[in-house]
Amino acid sequence: MQDRRSFLSASIAMAALGLCPALAEAAPLAKVKAMGVLRVAIYNNNRPWSWQSDGKVIGIDADIGTALAKAMGVRVDLAELIADESADDDLRNGVWRGGLLGFQPADVMLHVPFDRAFAARNDQVAIVAPYYRESFQFACIKGEIDCNGPPAQFRGHRLAAEIDSVPDFYLMGTAGGVLAKDVTHYSTGAEAVTAITDGRADGVLASRAQIEAVLFERKPTNVARRTMPLPAFVSPGWDIGMAVKESSRTLGDAAESVLAAMVASGELKAIFARYGVTYTAALAA
Amino acid sequence: MKERFMRSVAAVATLALMTAAAPLLAAADGPNDADLMADASSTGDVLTYGMGPQAQRFSPLAKINAGNIKSMVPAFAASLGGEKQRGQEAQPLVYDGTIYVTGSYSRLFAFDAHTGEQKWRYEARLPDGIMPCCDVVNRGAAIYGDKIIFATLDARLVALNRHTGKVIWNKQIADYQAGYSATAAPLIVKGMVITGNSGGEFGIVGAVEARDVNTGELIWHRPVVEGNMGTLRGKDNGITGKLNATWEGDLYKTGGGATWLGGTYDPETNLLYFGTGNPAPWNSHLRKGDNLYTASTLAIDPETGVIKWHYQTTPHDGWDFDGVNEFIPFDATINGKPMKLGAKADRNGYFFVLDRTNGKFVSASRFVMQTTWANGYSKDGKPNVIPAGRPGLPNGTDKGGSVFSSPSFLGGKNWMPMAYSKDTGLFYIPSNDWGMDIWNEPISYKKGAAYLGAGFTIKPIAEDHIGVLRAMDPKTGKIVWEYKNKAPLWGGVLTTAGNLVFTGTPEGYLKAFDAKTGTELWKFQTGSGVVGSPVTWEQDGEQYVAVMSGWGGAVPLWGGEVAKSFKDINQGGSLWVFKLPKN
Repeated sequence: MQDRRSFLSASIAMAALGLCPALAEAAPLAKVKAMGVLRVAIYNNNRPWSWQSDGKVIGIDADIGTALAKAMGVRVDLAELIADESADDDLRNGVWRGGLLGFQPADVMLHVPFDRAFAARNDQVAIVAPYYRESFQFACIKGEIDCNGPPAQFRGHRLAAEIDSVPDFYLMGTAGGVLAKDVTHYSTGAEAVTAITDGRADGVLASRAQIEAVLFERKPTNVARRTMPLPAFVSPGWDIGMAVKESSRTLGDAAESVLAAMVASGELKAIFARYGVTYTAALAA
Repeated sequence: MKERFMRSVAAVATLALMTAAAPLLAAADGPNDADLMADASSTGDVLTYGMGPQAQRFSPLAKINAGNIKSMVPAFAASLGGEKQRGQEAQPLVYDGTIYVTGSYSRLFAFDAHTGEQKWRYEARLPDGIMPCCDVVNRGAAIYGDKIIFATLDARLVALNRHTGKVIWNKQIADYQAGYSATAAPLIVKGMVITGNSGGEFGIVGAVEARDVNTGELIWHRPVVEGNMGTLRGKDNGITGKLNATWEGDLYKTGGGATWLGGTYDPETNLLYFGTGNPAPWNSHLRKGDNLYTASTLAIDPETGVIKWHYQTTPHDGWDFDGVNEFIPFDATINGKPMKLGAKADRNGYFFVLDRTNGKFVSASRFVMQTTWANGYSKDGKPNVIPAGRPGLPNGTDKGGSVFSSPSFLGGKNWMPMAYSKDTGLFYIPSNDWGMDIWNEPISYKKGAAYLGAGFTIKPIAEDHIGVLRAMDPKTGKIVWEYKNKAPLWGGVLTTAGNLVFTGTPEGYLKAFDAKTGTELWKFQTGSGVVGSPVTWEQDGEQYVAVMSGWGGAVPLWGGEVAKSFKDINQGGSLWVFKLPKN
C-alpha cells in the first residue's frame, strides 16, 4: 500500500528517532509499584504465545506477563499490539513512543528478539531477560513425505507456510523454486501447522513452538518432525527476550530477577508445558 | 452531447423544484449526479476530489490571473485545533456557503465559506491499535445530496448529514485488524460510492468497490489481482484475469495491488480508472511473472465492476513502484489524429499517455532526473528493464551488494495529484528527484520472528533540490519548464484559465506560477508545510483559492540525508483561504 512498506522496514525505527517525542513515560519499577499495575505489550494473534480465546488473552507470553506482575505485587494490564512491518517498528509503537492513534507505551514488551545487532539499532529500549530459544522446524505427514529427505523430493506434495515469513521464502525459493507451486500460504504459522493436522497439507515449515503447540492440542498420530537440518536454511534460530524503555532499567533488572526465579522454581517450564511447548533456555541466558 | 443535454434538463428540473418548494426542501436537497459530472465547468462550487470526475484540477476561472495575483491576500484561516496535527493532505470541497475539509486522524470539518467560522466537526472514534503505514492522513470527502462522505483510518466509510455533521450511515469496508486502512477521497458515480482499499503488504488483495450512496450497501466488488473472484449484487461475477497466468501457486490470494489512492471517472467513455499498488511479497524473486494486475491502471465498467482494459506500468515490480497514481482523461491530437487520451505520472519515473478508450499505449516519457531500473519503453509499452537495477535475492547470510535505485520507493511522484490545463495543453507534475541504496538485511525480525528484510537509505541525487514541479507536454513528452524546491514536494497541483499553476511546499508556502513559463509569481507562508491540494471557486462575484496547511505524510517518517531538508518544519493544521483585495 500506500506508502507503507515492509520492503523498507529495517531502518525505519532509527530514521524516526528524534522526530517523534514520547507520548508518555513508561514507568520504572517504583512508579509501577506506586500505580499498582504493570502494562505488558504482547502480540495479538500470535499463537501459542498470545491470542484471544473466548474473549480472554491466553498463551505463553500472556502467562509470563501475568507472572511478572504477580511477582512484583501489582496487577497486570495485557496490551495486545498489532505487529507492524518489523520488530523495530513494534518497539517504537509498543515501548518507547506509543502508537500514532493513542496506543499507550507498555512498561515491558514480550517476545522481543534478543540479538546484539538488533539491540544496537534500537537504542531507545533495553532488551533484557532472554527466556526462550526459538527455531524453525519442518513437520510432515508420515507416508506422504520423507521428512528427512532433500526438499526437492517434496515436490508435488501440499506444503504449508505462513505468508511472508522465512519458511515461506525458503519453500518458495529452495532448489531453484521447484516447490513454489506446491506452497499454500496461511496468515499465521499456527494456521499453517493446523493445515497438516486437518489433512489439508502434507508438510509444514513453522516455528518449533507453533508446531509443538498445535500437535499438543490436536494429538495427531501421523505427523513426524524432521531431525536433519534443511539444506541452505538461513536461520539458525534466535533468542527471545523482553524490552523496557531505555530509561526504565530498574524495571528491566526486576524482570530479570523474576525470570531467574521462575526458571529456578520450574514455573517458566510449567507455563510452556501448559501449551505443549518444550521450554528451551535462550543461548544468551 | 446527449450527456450534456441530460445534464441541463436535470438542472432546470432542480431549479423548478427549488423555486416551487419551501426552503426546507431546498435544504434537504444538494448536489446530484449531474452536478458532480459538471463540476469541472461549474465555477461556484467544488464538488469532487479533482475538481471534476476526470480530476484535471483545472478551473476556467480567470479573475485571479498571472497579471494580478501578486496582490492576492488571505481572506481568512481556520484551525483544525486540538492536539491532533500531523499531515493535512486533504482537498477542500465547497458547496452552499460551506467549505468541507477532512483532517488528520479521520476528522471532517464544515467551515463557513464567508467567515471561516466552524459550523460543525466530526471526529471518528478510532481504535488505538491501528498501525497506519504512512501517517494519519485523509485526502478528502465526497458530497451527494444531503450527505458528505469520507473514509476513516479504521477502514470505514462514514456518511454525515452535510448540514449537521450527524451520522447517516457508517459502514466497515475492510478489517483494520487485518491491516486495512482508508485514506483516499471517495468517488461518486451514478449514485454509487466507488472506493479502493489500502492496507499492509501481506495477506491483502487490492480491490475496487461500489456501494449505494444512500445506504452504504455493497453493489459490486472487483479484486484487482488475477485469479480472484469478483461479485455483483451478492453473486459471483467472474474472476479477474486468468488464474495463474502471471502468478505461481496460491500467491495471487495475497498478491497485494492495493488501490489506495482511489480513482477517476470519464463520463465520455463511461469508464472508471483505478491505479493498483505494488505486488506482495516485496521480494520479487519469489513471485515469478508479471503479477497482473498490480502496478497497473485499470479501466472498469461502473455498472458491473468488470475490467475493460488494463495497462501495467511496472511488470514484475521489485522496487515498490505502486501504480496507484491518478489517470487523468484529456483530449489531444497525436500525429494529426484527434484522440481520447489519458495520462498518468507513475512512481517509477515515467509519464504515460494511453488511449483511454482501449488502454493502448501511446507514449512513456521520463519526467525525473534518473531511472536506474529501466531505460525507456518500447513501442508496445514494455519497459526496457535494466537487470542490474533490481534489488537482489535475500540469502539470509550476508548483506550482499547494495543496489542504488532511482527513483526511491517514495517515487518520482507519490500520492500528490497533478493537474492538466485545457488552455496550455500541459500537465503539471509534482515530482521528486531522489534515489535509494537498498541491501539485504539478514538480521531482521517480524512479529518477534526471524525474517529476511531489506535495509535502505533514501538520498537526494541533486545538490540543489529534491522536489520539482514540472510542466510536461503530453504530445511530445518534453518538459517545458520546471521549478526546483529544496524539500520534497508532497502537495497537489491546481491550474486555472488565469494562466496560473498553484502548489504548496513543505517549507510552508503556497506558490503560484505562470502556467506557460513557470515563473514564480506569488507565494504566501502558511506557517506549516503544505501537503494538501489547492482549489478555487467563485463566490459573491469574487474568486477564492483555498489550501490546507499542515506538514506530515510519509516523507517525515523516513529520515536520512533527505530529512535535512525538512527537519525544522513545524506541524500544523489549518485551512487557508485567499482572494484579491476589493477595489
